[in-house]
Amino acid sequence: MEADNIEAIITRIEHKSRKIESLLKQLKPVEALKTALEGSPPMTKDERCKSANWIVVHRAMMSIKDVDGLFSSLDPEYYDILMKYLYRGLATGDRPTCEQCLRIHEKLTERAGLGCILRSLSDTVNTV
Amino acid sequence: MAATAVHQLAQCITCHAWSPDQTMVAICPNSNEVHIYKSSPDKWEQVHVLQKHDQIISGIDWSTGSNKIVTVSHDRNSYVWNQEASEWVPTLVILRLNRAALCVQWSPKENKFAVGSGAKTVCICYYEQENNWWVSKLIRKRHNSSVTGVAWHPDNILLATTSTDGKCRIFSTFIKGVDSRDAGTTSSSELKFGEQIVQLDLSFSWAFGVRWSPSGNTLAYVGHNSMIYFVDDVGPSPSAQSVAFSDLPLRDVLFVSERMVIGVGFDCSPMVFTADERGIWNFVKLLDQRKLVPSSANYGSQLSGAFGKLYGQSKHISNDTVEPSRSRAGVHSNLITSILPLKVVGGAVKRFSTSGLDGKVVVWDLENQSEFSL
Repeated sequence: MEADNIEAIITRIEHKSRKIESLLKQLKPVEALKTALEGSPPMTKDERCKSANWIVVHRAMMSIKDVDGLFSSLDPEYYDILMKYLYRGLATGDRPTCEQCLRIHEKLTERAGLGCILRSLSDTVNTV
Repeated sequence: MAATAVHQLAQCITCHAWSPDQTMVAICPNSNEVHIYKSSPDKWEQVHVLQKHDQIISGIDWSTGSNKIVTVSHDRNSYVWNQEASEWVPTLVILRLNRAALCVQWSPKENKFAVGSGAKTVCICYYEQENNWWVSKLIRKRHNSSVTGVAWHPDNILLATTSTDGKCRIFSTFIKGVDSRDAGTTSSSELKFGEQIVQLDLSFSWAFGVRWSPSGNTLAYVGHNSMIYFVDDVGPSPSAQSVAFSDLPLRDVLFVSERMVIGVGFDCSPMVFTADERGIWNFVKLLDQRKLVPSSANYGSQLSGAFGKLYGQSKHISNDTVEPSRSRAGVHSNLITSILPLKVVGGAVKRFSTSGLDGKVVVWDLENQSEFSL
């Protein structure tokens, strides 16, 4: 039962990954990031699901070149979940990832405030 | 700016309460004493010190009708103080708790009071005439963690609580012989003592500061994740709204009217929330618009850095090591822990007071603010 569930999540993430690749080809990185942030597996403790989803989000996040442009078209409902993934990115210690995360983090904090950081810390539903 | 009076009464205030005529304020200066100050034109004078508790007093409430003060403390006891001649005479209320009492509130009819505690219980206390004794009845085994806030519904029966397990719960506190069945014709008077009406699961972090709207139709409480929750139609099918805001979390709330709420907390400035015609709640603004000021040395001791703000341990941080990134130029310079209504005209609060860990009691006026014409 649990294994079936995980397989279903993995399939969904793969599907999402293909969609993101095609959006990136169409030079729509913000749309790709939105797609990546949507439907992250809720309440899962399975590391495979979490890292599969992180790879997809990471792919979309790294393709963002214009951070100011990102926030002019990203809706506030994505802010909290994006913040969670930024911290996951910072935790990797990988230099290019961290640089990108910090760039987005600065702008995101300006927009969404400290409340957004507190929500990303206390959120237990969206496991990242 | 809407702050009309600022009184620095102590280094740190855990809670405050006003006398019925609002000429006196009772505060706890983060110790086992209650200090009562009387207002005079130029300065506030300390007129009484209530000494009986052994540990920090966590809650004070002053009843308007009967002029009684109730205090609760970390020493697990409560006292009801009665003014006889010029003296305040305490009566011990044994709460039967094994952890600290955290908050207290008189019921609207002032024949009961509710105490929230770290023992995962709520005490409902009432006076027994024949024994000349305050009795404490417990609501047990309902909360999974400390009870951080209590709020009475205007009907004198329903009680809302918030807890560090993240839930807000509503209980019936009907006590035979104290409450009469026919008094309230609402269905709430048919419920037994301690019966849980609803449990609200909106927050995933600690919940604080619950309050009912003046009519009792709407409930508001806050979460430690920078969210505020509004609940309409409390009962079997409540409808809830969660409002996220961009600043630090709140600790306490106050309904100014049916459609306006003021929240106070870690951001040191009261926040205004309003509901539009469709009943959708939104964050409007900070009441105390602070300006960015260069941090000076004598400001540093007020622990304005993020470290101090979050942990409330301000006093002994040296100025040199903690350079505040954003100085609080507002009226309060630390966490605001409580907010109380002062002047109520036709069901709407026109003036309210706040107190916090910076030791100030601040009076705020909404009357001359044209944008608050709700």
